[in-house]
Amino acid sequence: MTRVWGRVLRYVVLLAVLVITVGPFLWQLSTSLKGRTEDIYTFPPRLLPRHPTLGNYKGVADIVPVWSYALNSLTVAVANVVTNLVGASLAGYALARLRFRGRGAATLAFVLALLVPLESIVIAQLTLMRQLGLNNTLIAVVLPGCVGAMNVLLMRDAFGHLPYETEEAAVIDGAGVWQRFARISLPSVKGTLAVVAVFSFMGSWDDFLWPLIVLSDSSKFTLTVGLNYLHGTFSSNQRLVAAGTVIAVAPLVVMFACLQRYFFRGVAEGSVKG
Amino acid sequence: MPISRGTRSHKAVGAALPLFLAAAALTACGGNADGGSSADGKVAGDISFQTWNLRANYKDYFNGLIARFEKEYPDTKVRWIDQPADHYADKLSADAAGGTLPDVVNVSPDLAYPLAKAGVLVNLDKEPASTKYKDEYTPEAWQANEMPGLNGGYAFPWYLNTGPLFYNRALFAQAGLDPDKPPRTYDELFADANTMARHSGGRVATLAATPAIEDFGRYGVRLMNADATEFTYNEPRGVELLTRYKQLYDNGALDAQALTNGPEESGQKFLEQKVAMNPGSAHDLSNFKENAPTLYKNLGIADAPNNTGHPNMYVMGLGINNGSRHKPAAIAFAYFVTDRQNQESVAHKVAIFPSTRGSLDEPYWTKDDGTDEGRVRVAAAKILKGAVNYTPVVMSDEMKTVLQNQVALALQGRKSPKQALDDAVARGDELLKQG
Repeated sequence: MTRVWGRVLRYVVLLAVLVITVGPFLWQLSTSLKGRTEDIYTFPPRLLPRHPTLGNYKGVADIVPVWSYALNSLTVAVANVVTNLVGASLAGYALARLRFRGRGAATLAFVLALLVPLESIVIAQLTLMRQLGLNNTLIAVVLPGCVGAMNVLLMRDAFGHLPYETEEAAVIDGAGVWQRFARISLPSVKGTLAVVAVFSFMGSWDDFLWPLIVLSDSSKFTLTVGLNYLHGTFSSNQRLVAAGTVIAVAPLVVMFACLQRYFFRGVAEGSVKG
Repeated sequence: MPISRGTRSHKAVGAALPLFLAAAALTACGGNADGGSSADGKVAGDISFQTWNLRANYKDYFNGLIARFEKEYPDTKVRWIDQPADHYADKLSADAAGGTLPDVVNVSPDLAYPLAKAGVLVNLDKEPASTKYKDEYTPEAWQANEMPGLNGGYAFPWYLNTGPLFYNRALFAQAGLDPDKPPRTYDELFADANTMARHSGGRVATLAATPAIEDFGRYGVRLMNADATEFTYNEPRGVELLTRYKQLYDNGALDAQALTNGPEESGQKFLEQKVAMNPGSAHDLSNFKENAPTLYKNLGIADAPNNTGHPNMYVMGLGINNGSRHKPAAIAFAYFVTDRQNQESVAHKVAIFPSTRGSLDEPYWTKDDGTDEGRVRVAAAKILKGAVNYTPVVMSDEMKTVLQNQVALALQGRKSPKQALDDAVARGDELLKQG
């Protein structure tokens, strides 16, 4: 009997968490489908639209060039994923496996970098980009986040947890550092690579302040910045804002759905069983 | 660090703002030296013009405006930039510090103050090229852009905004109040609010927000000393207003989330029909129509009460970058955008109000055409005569938050109203000195 109740309780708690996490998103989805004649702010809230329409999505495209913004965002996000995967795994491997003078200090520098908030260095970054002649370009949007300190530490941790024995065996077989990195270690940390990919994709896709500050030409805006135009100064149509949000979130959902198999495997993997 | 960057925390940005401004102030001193061009001279050159979130709905208007200006001054070329709604203050200060501020920028007085103080904006009262236009604007609008301690106006007055107090007739009727007799004075407002709370058993609140600085101003509280170096809103009048709000809060006449509601949240509560009254702008009508058609049918419109004879207004302006390489063109363009004809034409498109002298005497703003929009427009235009911008320009967002937090403590009963306002004033003065 108690086992049944335990199971019921478990499902109730899971359902509650589901409602809390998925609820707001469903609400946005429902608002974005509501017709012009419907009240949005009803109490109690109504989840199913009475006059469902896709017109709001068209409305978003009329106000902002949403596809070109999405392309900008995608460019930035993909570049960010690639640079983070390459940079963080190289740096992480070096910190975990290579012996060199100042390794501890280098690790500490990455930890300290985590503590610096973007807001306090944004002006310095802007002046730097200006001196490099890069402000108002997408490269400037990618550059400051291209190798995240957090990702380097994640990769260092993942490499550090691999058993030494496999690499020692590879050394005996005559493998160099590059071969050990590329053939032995890298395939063993796919889970962490997926985590880094998802985090850097999300981070750059959601980033708002830095692209806003470094870009001045609105044709170069990324999606999050561009969609902010939907909050009109004099009137704000919540249906359009909701439609914009759904457009902005959709790629993240797709990205996660594709990578979740690796994502949950996480850092718990190893190359040697038992 | 893409991970930490992904979280868009407004609080963190708010805390970092003083840093920005400090940086802006530092570099601007250096920025002045390389300096811009003289303000007198030929109107020519490429200039950039930055508006704040107007592109979505008024793209054609601005493109047309720029085309006409370029036709009038063939040697000029205007590049229009529009900034999104959020983090505009951050963008301005970063640009000011980085030396990338556009030539003509859309600012409100509180946004203009830190820029003016850092020497990034042109003092329009000092340049003959701009002072000659001063008399074309209403004195109140020009004064609203005069910065205390900086001797002059730092932005061409652009559009003004004010609004009535909107109320929900259905909720008034349910509470046994006469929907045709909205409150006209503070006494009536507080009495009606208490009745409403009693009748609905606390389910329907009358007001959604705690008093902000402009509410103290309208109530007749002296907000600052004459040279704007110290806050004075803790005088007995201010304590009286806060004490009355405390009674409202205790009776359930303020929304349960009033302590944290900002203007946007209050507006939303009104749309949800959980709150019976909300101060608004003339252009809110379209918002009601669009997002809450049922509320729109029951909408009542009343004048917001004040004890001073001067209603409140909000002012937008166009500032000129001191480092601009083509100042004559920038000034000519800012004047062109804000001249009487162009202000009136934009105010016909959206329910905002021109700041040029004589504009509000036009029939469009004096004759009620029978529509709801017409009624609100005429009422608001009437309010604007003699309206002032109560919010002190030196009051930064941080100082406003200090006041909001202290007001919240007082309403919760954790501090006496007097103590709360004393503390807010003390902290505000401290911040003023740092600034």
